[in-house]
Amino acid sequence: MNKIIINQELCIGCKLCFKSCFIDVIKWDEKARRPVVAYPQDCVQCLFCELNCPKRAVKVVPDYAHYRFPRENIL
Amino acid sequence: MPTHTADILIVGGSLAGLAAAITAKEANPELTVTVVEKYTAGYAGKANRGAGIITMLGSSKPEDFVAYHTKYVGDYLNDQEGLLRYAQGMNDSIDAVDRWSGGKVCKNPDGSYRTLKWLAQITGEDEHGKRTFSEPDHFPWTLVSVDLDYMVQVRSYAVKAGVQVVDRVGVVDVLTDDGRVSGAVGYHIDSGEQWILRAKTVVLATGSQNYRIMPMWSPGRGEGLAAAWRAGARFTNCEFGSFYNWTSLDNFESSMGVEFALFNDKGENVCLAHTAGEHPDMDQNSLAEWYKQVKAGNGPMHYRQNENPLMPYLTSILASDSYYDRPFADRFWGGLFFNAFTQQTSDEVVPGLIGEFSGLWVDQDWSTSVPGLLAAGDICYGGSRVTGAVPPPPGRVRGSGLAFALYSGRMAGASAANYAAGHTLGQLSQEQIDGVDRRFRAPLTAAGAVDGYALLDEIHKVMQPLGNSLYRRQDRIEAALARVRELKNQLPQVRAVDPHGLFACNEYRSMLLCAELFFNGSLARKESRGWFLREDYPQHSARPEWYVQVADGDGIRVTAETVPLDRYPNQPG
Repeated sequence: MNKIIINQELCIGCKLCFKSCFIDVIKWDEKARRPVVAYPQDCVQCLFCELNCPKRAVKVVPDYAHYRFPRENIL
Repeated sequence: MPTHTADILIVGGSLAGLAAAITAKEANPELTVTVVEKYTAGYAGKANRGAGIITMLGSSKPEDFVAYHTKYVGDYLNDQEGLLRYAQGMNDSIDAVDRWSGGKVCKNPDGSYRTLKWLAQITGEDEHGKRTFSEPDHFPWTLVSVDLDYMVQVRSYAVKAGVQVVDRVGVVDVLTDDGRVSGAVGYHIDSGEQWILRAKTVVLATGSQNYRIMPMWSPGRGEGLAAAWRAGARFTNCEFGSFYNWTSLDNFESSMGVEFALFNDKGENVCLAHTAGEHPDMDQNSLAEWYKQVKAGNGPMHYRQNENPLMPYLTSILASDSYYDRPFADRFWGGLFFNAFTQQTSDEVVPGLIGEFSGLWVDQDWSTSVPGLLAAGDICYGGSRVTGAVPPPPGRVRGSGLAFALYSGRMAGASAANYAAGHTLGQLSQEQIDGVDRRFRAPLTAAGAVDGYALLDEIHKVMQPLGNSLYRRQDRIEAALARVRELKNQLPQVRAVDPHGLFACNEYRSMLLCAELFFNGSLARKESRGWFLREDYPQHSARPEWYVQVADGDGIRVTAETVPLDRYPNQPG
């Protein structure tokens, strides 16, 4: 499964990683004003959360070996 | 429950939806226009996660564009009149997106658009250290490039123009009043709260069906297509929704131009015959060749990148400032490539299904067959019949995805403004709303005998195989269709525990509907044409036809319409 690492020390609560996610992997904790990586199993390593973070507080580590793809059913 | 009313409701906040919203608002500022987006408008969708290239007519003649596309791409299944209008509107679309994005389309020092044709070859460098090119003159179009943070600017432009944006609400069904659109029902993707959206007209701009297989295309899950179907809309060209891109099983990033340099395990280049002559982009015969070679025991198949003539173009636009200046796009592609290629261990290449089912039929005003329901963008690329016997973007012409989103969005926005000015709000039916709610929330109380991800894997196993979805044959299509119907029967047993899961269930339902229409259309087309290949029917039929599908009770009725070639300027042969 991909890892989305949030550096809580650097995070400023701007929501851009949450807004950047186009498939609902990252949710938002309104009380803590911090992102929540709620569904990492759905991440497709597009890197938009990492790229849009103004503080470089997000890192996506892809796990291609477990990417959901029908490897045995191509023919 | 929140209830929101607008004259025009746009569903989907990527390029087609925002283009429709801006155009409608600017056409008639008195109208209220709302964009509702399942995630966050300006960040959602596919328009900011591709190459960022847009087809532009440039100085070519629209008639030449139509002739080329009809002969070499659409294989005479195009609506040639619609294609001409599309070509005529292309340059204006570039001006529009440049204005909306605050100038994010790349320019030359003199302010003109910086263009680069497909398959351009490097000749040297200019005085600024930028590459110079020799460009092929036989393609009657060119390509411009936009930085990939442009959609945030387009959203800002829309808001300043007076468009309202509702984020985090996913529309799951369209409401009708005596057959005419009266609004839509959505749910907040975080809280699960139901939203009633009342409008005189609704524009669906929710993208195509991509079955959640390839990474960039994973948000295309067909919920808008399924909502239109349930509202009674007619569909067409469903059988073309099977685009594949070459990919590595090591990293699932797409590779372009592989068909020029595809070798079997014996070291033979197997696609020379398929890439000779006009080759606007990857083609169905190269994919079928991959299938035949592997079936014959000549696999695995290899991609020799250094023999790909597209590399000069690709290395100039992706993760590079050697021709364009696109800082955001360079970082985006640089990150993807770094992750992908540092983990790539072989040159083996396979076709990965992108799908791009987009069969929602629209007329020349971008209206579906349901009064008041319009569409724009990938959702109706095939259904518009404009580009013929090809899958939707990226289809066979790169840059056509953004170009079509822009053009159809602008046209649908103008049509929506006209429609809204001449109609009143319809009545909402509580019975309809309750019915949608029961359907959408049913997985919360389902038995849970079927795991959602396991069902998704089974959908992938039906859709991905080339023998089912590309190089088709009667028995394989029938078996795939039977399997899709079996999987549909499992839907009531999938359990969800939160809004994320509820939307996943809605997506699975939408995927299986699209799959059923896809295989149903594939059975109807007993010929090979353009992208559509039948192993058992390798020839063209005498007269090309469009196949139309509509709901008929619990079943589907398929009818044929003859393409009116007699009135078109371009004829086969």
